[in-house]
Amino acid sequence: MTVRTPDVIARNPSTDGFSRETSHNLVRAIRASLTAQSTDAAALLEAYVALDALGAARWLLDSGAVRALIPPARLSAALATLIERLPVDLNDDGREIVEAVARTHADALPPDALAALWSRLPRDRERTWLRDEVERALTAAPGNAGVLRAAVALAIQAGDAPRAHALLTRLGRADSTLATTTYVRNTRKTLPPTGAPPARVALLSSYTIDPLIPFVDLECHALGLAPEIYLAPFNTWAREVIDEASGLRRFDPDLVFLSVAIDDLIPSLSRGHVPAEVLAEEGEGAVRRVVEVAARFRTWASTPLVVHSFHSAFGGPAGILDGREEPSRAAWLAELNVGLAEALRALPSCYLLDVSDLLLRGSAPSGDNPKLRHLASMRLPSAGLPVIARAYARYIAPCKGLTRKCVVLDLDNTLWGGVVGEDGLSGIRLGHTSPGSEFVEFQEFLRALSQRGILLAVNSKNNPDDALEVIRSHESMILRESAFSAVRINWRPKHDNMIEIAEELNIGVDSLVFVDDNPDERALMRQALPQVLTVELPHDASLYRSVLEDLPQLQVLAVTEEDRMRVGHLYANRQRQEVKIDAASLDDYLRSLAVAVECARATPAMFPRLAQLFQRTNQFNATTRRYDISDVSRLSQDPAFRLYGLKARDRFGDHGLVAAALVRITAPLWTIDSFVMSCRVIGYGIETSLLAEVCAEAIAAGATRLEGEFIATSKNVPAKDLYARHGFAWRETTGAVERWELDLAAAVRVPPWIAREPQ
Amino acid sequence: MTPEDVVSKTFGVGRSSITDATSNQSVADWDSLGHITLVLELESVYGVSFSPEEALEITNVAAIKKALERRGVAW
Repeated sequence: MTVRTPDVIARNPSTDGFSRETSHNLVRAIRASLTAQSTDAAALLEAYVALDALGAARWLLDSGAVRALIPPARLSAALATLIERLPVDLNDDGREIVEAVARTHADALPPDALAALWSRLPRDRERTWLRDEVERALTAAPGNAGVLRAAVALAIQAGDAPRAHALLTRLGRADSTLATTTYVRNTRKTLPPTGAPPARVALLSSYTIDPLIPFVDLECHALGLAPEIYLAPFNTWAREVIDEASGLRRFDPDLVFLSVAIDDLIPSLSRGHVPAEVLAEEGEGAVRRVVEVAARFRTWASTPLVVHSFHSAFGGPAGILDGREEPSRAAWLAELNVGLAEALRALPSCYLLDVSDLLLRGSAPSGDNPKLRHLASMRLPSAGLPVIARAYARYIAPCKGLTRKCVVLDLDNTLWGGVVGEDGLSGIRLGHTSPGSEFVEFQEFLRALSQRGILLAVNSKNNPDDALEVIRSHESMILRESAFSAVRINWRPKHDNMIEIAEELNIGVDSLVFVDDNPDERALMRQALPQVLTVELPHDASLYRSVLEDLPQLQVLAVTEEDRMRVGHLYANRQRQEVKIDAASLDDYLRSLAVAVECARATPAMFPRLAQLFQRTNQFNATTRRYDISDVSRLSQDPAFRLYGLKARDRFGDHGLVAAALVRITAPLWTIDSFVMSCRVIGYGIETSLLAEVCAEAIAAGATRLEGEFIATSKNVPAKDLYARHGFAWRETTGAVERWELDLAAAVRVPPWIAREPQ
Repeated sequence: MTPEDVVSKTFGVGRSSITDATSNQSVADWDSLGHITLVLELESVYGVSFSPEEALEITNVAAIKKALERRGVAW
């Protein structure tokens, strides 16, 4: 082995404090060890770096010698130490040398060292090699915060704002400290807007909640929203709601979060013993103050209000005697929160966010950070901020209509451990003990999801017989066949199955979530169908549950009776399909279903479901006018309008409230402003029944003409011929609105196969 | 990670422009909230807990270094 003398060092000794002699001695030692082919060269290099970073850098430029002597892993470590140890006030020459070293050994540069180097180089000129290296490191270490920061800066330099936004979101997730998250938010402010739909979030608090803002901002961006966050001035939470000229009212929020610290409302909590009866009284007063503000808010806004539960920084003053003589502070607080929750339940769209539970179950270590409390009047622990922001996202997503309708699941290693095709029915891991109990827990959670109204489906590469045997007969299987609204078990590409599942369920591909343990399948799905939300599942099956639990896109703001019944419906639908095949004609089939409908003017009990129909129905929706619950309540009482809801059932089950019509009344003309029907009852003539009811009501009120409005969207094709099919004639089109008219002398009739039930 | 790195990271200021004299007067985002952010970041990076007085004093890089040195923290 020939080794060249690293004469660059001899010519150019270090300038940062180490003598020429030290350098020479080291070089000599290295050389000696080389000649002896000893394995100490790497250790010597490390010592050299530690003693004289710049001197070592010069030697490292001699790549031939370096590579011959130093094993790659040790070289990587030495480079990392070298860059880390560079003096802060390195001059331009020094930087050039270090950059040259890094470039020479770019392939051995660990991601952290690359990131550190990037942060130390001035942004004075384009460095193509560095850009390429950052790109490479991003693939090798996708979660490295330093590399992400570098990549963000490069994307901004290149003028690629969408990429910069995406990388900033990744950076915020990779390093969820306040410092990085604040940096992420500040950097976004310098970028052009994303064009994403806005999310107007207001924060009201009795304490400094400013540090939460960057975290909420991050979560909104992660949901594909462009957040606008309103922070009420310090401790004005009550005034902002009451004052008609407040910033909050002008802001017009989509969603409001209210956090009031019990320690602010009852200052005596930090002091000594407070008699139980005084505490009880003060506690009631505190609940009353918060609830009054919530009720006041309801008088002028129908947007969701999320209220933090009470938590205190202070334990009981009696130490271990707390709870011995009288109820403990914790017990008192728990009781207070029960009262708060109860009072909020009585108000529409008010939610209690259980902060103690969140902090306890999350990884945040404590509910109090004394220093921040004193220094900044902050009452949330800094480690809890990302947890709370993620909890906020679970309200923001459904509020902005981002709730997905169906979770599509892989089977092997997703719903059970192992591969059924190889391990067999008795070999797969599914049961009371680990490994296996993780999957039971996950399935239990999925069942809870379906009770929330979220559908489940299967998309698995398997022999159908093997997989179905597990679903049907494994004793520990929680999700049986009836739990799944669509099932695809075959060997076709999963994205093809996905499209079929969406079609079968009459929902968009963008309503699906895909859960699969196999990273290759996930990558393929993201590639083929980016609209599908493909969940990044961890290796550890015991974490599956919490990953889906935390997913904002699976949260709903209200569960209606129809949601709870939906899963049963779709299973019944599969049975209906089977009847369809048996029945000789469509007419026979419809008669055999024994459909019965019941139509009525809207009553308060129907409001939540009516609002849901107006807001969520995309396909069978004539005008896609989105009325929320406060609109529904107002319109049902307005004498200029009539609002009808229609319930349906058949011999396989109750469909619930599935269609609605809103009519504007001007004698002798009635105008159908909105007509919506759940797409799962398309094809039974239910829309005809509702139109017939509207005709009958109009005639009874003395009207002679009925008009239907239609506004085409990209999704409402199924409703396109609603009026033409029922004898309406096109009259005119103004702007986007088509007007169709029916002479009530030829009123629509209820189809012969549908039974009309009395109201 | 040096104190300069922490300041650079927290406020998104180029590392090469940071000196001992860099302070809450010279960095735009180093306001009262930014200061809390920086204190939290320093405490987490170096595993220390500053006293309330220190937390208020460390408004420039030299003061940060001095406070860390007092606690025997090396970087």
